[in-house]
Amino acid sequence: MATIALLLELPRSGRRRFATAGIAVVAATFFALIGNEALVDRMLVAAFGTVPDPVFATPLLALTLQHLAIVAISSALTIAVGLPLGIWVTRESGRDFHDVVSAAVDFGQVFPPIAVLALMFPIFGLSPASAVLALFLYGLLPVVSSTVAGLEAVSPAVIDAARGMGLGRFRILLTVELPLASAVILAGIRTSVIINVGTATVAAVIGAGGLGLSIFTGISTDNSGNLVEGALAVSALALVLDGGLAVLASWLAPEGLES
Amino acid sequence: MITLEHITKRYGDHVAVDDLSFEVADGDVAVLIGPSGCGKTTTLRMINRLIEPTSGRILIDGTDATTLKPEELRRHIGYAIQSVGLFPHLTVAENIATVPKLLGWKPARIRARATELLDLVGLDPSQYAEKYPRQLSGGEAQRIGVARALAADPPVLLMDEPFGAVDPLNRDRLQVEFAKIQRELKKTVVFVTHDVDEAIRLADKIALMRLGHLEQYDSPEAVLDHPASKFVHDFVGADAALKRLARVRADTVMRTDVPVAQDGAAAVAIAAGQTARFIYLTDTNGALEGWLDRSVLERGTPLVDAATRIDWREAAIGPDASLKEALSRMLALGYRSVPVVDDAGRLLGDVSLADVERTMEAGDAHVAEPGEEAPGSTDVPAAADAVGE
Amino acid sequence: MDRVAFAGAAIALAGVTLLPFAEFRANRIVSGETFRAWSSAGLLGWLLVALTVACLGAAVLPLRYRGPGVLAAGVAGFSAWVFAVGGSAARLMPGGDSAARVSIAGGAWLALVGIAIVWFQGHHLTSSRAHVAAVAVAVAAVLAAWYLDGLPKVSLVYEYRVQSDTFWTLVSNHIELSLGGVAIAAALGVPLGIASTRAAAVRATVIPAAGIVQTVPSLALYGLLVIPLGMLGLPTLGAVPALIALTLYALLPIVRNTYLGVSGVDPAIIDAGRGMGMGRGEMLWRVEIPLALPLVLEGLRASLVMTVGIAAVMGIIGAQTLGVLVFQGFGSIAPDLVLLGAVPMVVIAIIADQGIRALERTIVSPGIRIRAGQD
Repeated sequence: MATIALLLELPRSGRRRFATAGIAVVAATFFALIGNEALVDRMLVAAFGTVPDPVFATPLLALTLQHLAIVAISSALTIAVGLPLGIWVTRESGRDFHDVVSAAVDFGQVFPPIAVLALMFPIFGLSPASAVLALFLYGLLPVVSSTVAGLEAVSPAVIDAARGMGLGRFRILLTVELPLASAVILAGIRTSVIINVGTATVAAVIGAGGLGLSIFTGISTDNSGNLVEGALAVSALALVLDGGLAVLASWLAPEGLES
Repeated sequence: MITLEHITKRYGDHVAVDDLSFEVADGDVAVLIGPSGCGKTTTLRMINRLIEPTSGRILIDGTDATTLKPEELRRHIGYAIQSVGLFPHLTVAENIATVPKLLGWKPARIRARATELLDLVGLDPSQYAEKYPRQLSGGEAQRIGVARALAADPPVLLMDEPFGAVDPLNRDRLQVEFAKIQRELKKTVVFVTHDVDEAIRLADKIALMRLGHLEQYDSPEAVLDHPASKFVHDFVGADAALKRLARVRADTVMRTDVPVAQDGAAAVAIAAGQTARFIYLTDTNGALEGWLDRSVLERGTPLVDAATRIDWREAAIGPDASLKEALSRMLALGYRSVPVVDDAGRLLGDVSLADVERTMEAGDAHVAEPGEEAPGSTDVPAAADAVGE
Repeated sequence: MDRVAFAGAAIALAGVTLLPFAEFRANRIVSGETFRAWSSAGLLGWLLVALTVACLGAAVLPLRYRGPGVLAAGVAGFSAWVFAVGGSAARLMPGGDSAARVSIAGGAWLALVGIAIVWFQGHHLTSSRAHVAAVAVAVAAVLAAWYLDGLPKVSLVYEYRVQSDTFWTLVSNHIELSLGGVAIAAALGVPLGIASTRAAAVRATVIPAAGIVQTVPSLALYGLLVIPLGMLGLPTLGAVPALIALTLYALLPIVRNTYLGVSGVDPAIIDAGRGMGMGRGEMLWRVEIPLALPLVLEGLRASLVMTVGIAAVMGIIGAQTLGVLVFQGFGSIAPDLVLLGAVPMVVIAIIADQGIRALERTIVSPGIRIRAGQD
């Protein structure tokens, strides 16, 4: 989780294995816990005994998986579009579009996520499609900006050296530029996914389902059991994902880049 | 006067400075030099208590430095460092104003002082006062660093490789300027460097350190001629005689009675009564334009070809240039003498290879003792006469 | 050919010709009937089609005329878009004070995006005098469409009229709540950030804690606050929990950037300051804070922009912000109500963003500005 992510920022070596094992244990515990319906029921009833029906109607695991599905689909779309877009505007063929894309990304990052949801609503109505599209668009921003920033931060001398050794453009991109930019890009993807977990929570209100449903129901029916059930689960989910992506990034980024 | 008495600095088991004692007289430049890790910077930083000594005393004009508040002490000691450390968010004038402001000077006085100091370090106040550090070249920034250290007119100046971060050409220029300023201001200076040539050029006393010990504390001449140990000998290098040339200013050995003419015809006229081979040609303001080679003229070469036109900025040296520079200029241009000119290019005299040789042979005889120099020693020809032939 | 302007023009043309431009509904919740630009706005619709084609043409002008041409086409396209929207509302709305609504449909939004790209590229290719002229023309077009055309009859404006008594209260609450949260966060975060540079223990607790808060979704953060709030006897709905959640959320960028800014000051500068006799207080106020200021303000900017969004989310728990309109709109499936909340929210976020940038230009020393083109 966040602490594990922090650990990773310290020197590498054994810490990475330790963090990986740690996050795996935490994730397994998380899913075991929310998967055990009886246990969740007992805990909520014990904690909120005075509240009638403190347990949300849909099982927690189902809500979590729904939430994860929305985030996974939109994040996959985000990466599938954002990464090539970011790469393209830093290539010769797309350089014309560099400024307009950067300006759009800067502009978009000022938009509140809920406003993006709201702007999708008049066009696509109450549906998971609205939510996925909003998450996809909003998630694009950090992915594109980090891809561009990461690639632009690669020293021209390194690229020049690679060219001098006779590597082709595509090979330079694949073996030099992307690996060197990977830490920045992965950080952007991580930010994007975590923002999506949060926006997906709000998106429950336009029919996306997921853990937000339990929270909204809790608020609107004054059921603190439902509210806390959803809040705890989605917080844990966000922290587990954040930690997991940090660990993943530490395995994917080349060793030599450790600062 | 700065007195260090049995100063020791320990970091755990490591002894950075070991029982160091020396004294810097008022108006002297003491240069601390030695290989890295010898404790020279630590010693410097103990004088203004950026580092507290483990034991021993430091007296500044008889006052124990530890009896003052460190901030108070530092405000009365100028401090210039290699990385300069100019405040990037403040203008040049505001940077210079730092200590005067801390001392509560009036704004008008601070402004006047900044202008005065920019003039002193040779930067046009109207052009530089409102610039920001990022708009300065390395050499300019170093100058501002020195000006800032001098801002409150402290009697004592600590300088930690103040010219270390600039290219050799600029460093040379900064050293010349610093020597000039120091002749004028007579601060008591402790100067850290790892550059032997710089030490020899600027020091009244060199403190050669090694592993926290003082190996030798003496005048540059003494260090060059009578190294106290094999370490000192090896450190200053084998070319002591050549290094000594860096200690001798051109105006102390130059010939001032050189033949001068304002045009070719006049030159030919005086040429007859001359033994010197070259007759210098100047314009009506006395600025050097070239010279006439008498030997070529006598071979019947036309006047136009016998005269050599030059740019004094390249072919001449200043009066405060060292003989080392004079020699290197001669070698570079292939002449056996080099003219000496002032800032406006006016001819003051010349230095010949023979003058250089004589100085090298004579050892200490020609070395200008900074103490001997009158405050008006920039009045070059007079000084040159006194030392000259 | 200018490929960016051409792409923008193509998007605009596709939006206008292939997708519905306006939607008519007999009242605000029934599903409606959609129209293409030319059938909803008549000649004005055709004018818009013509001008998007003109944008395509401007993109292939000879290089000498291309910059002004693209800018002019972009602004003309925008003006035509505004008129076509107004025209659609004017033509489709029945007379009298009916419950009918005419709203802007997907194709119009897509066309607007395309036209914005053309305008952006024209802006890019021309000088600042042309920029001013372009904005003047656009403003004049909006005013003209408002007074001469049917712009006030567009559903969004209708919705505003219905909600006008609460709308401005919500706007001012929204601004107050966002600014309040950031002000408290700054009052706490800047000292915490400075303390983090002085004590490793503070750094090791505060920054990860703020990081965890930031990772948790804002609604969930509220959910987690409910129990402690209840135990303290504080209200669990309305402005108080909203303000607490906002403040916690706004902390991280401020603390982290203050820490980075102060700890990032070149040690040589600190050494020079100490050597000249600056005390800790003088060093902090005269050197460290001024040098950290660009990063601190960047943190404030990020916090404020984020807070504007979270204040909206807090509408669901009864904080009287623009989020209330959005959630009401979601709940009653009234897209116009949603937009009435969302559009001003975006405007507030943009003003907050630009405001802090302007502040930065004013108070950060020209010697250390981080953004290019400001000295």
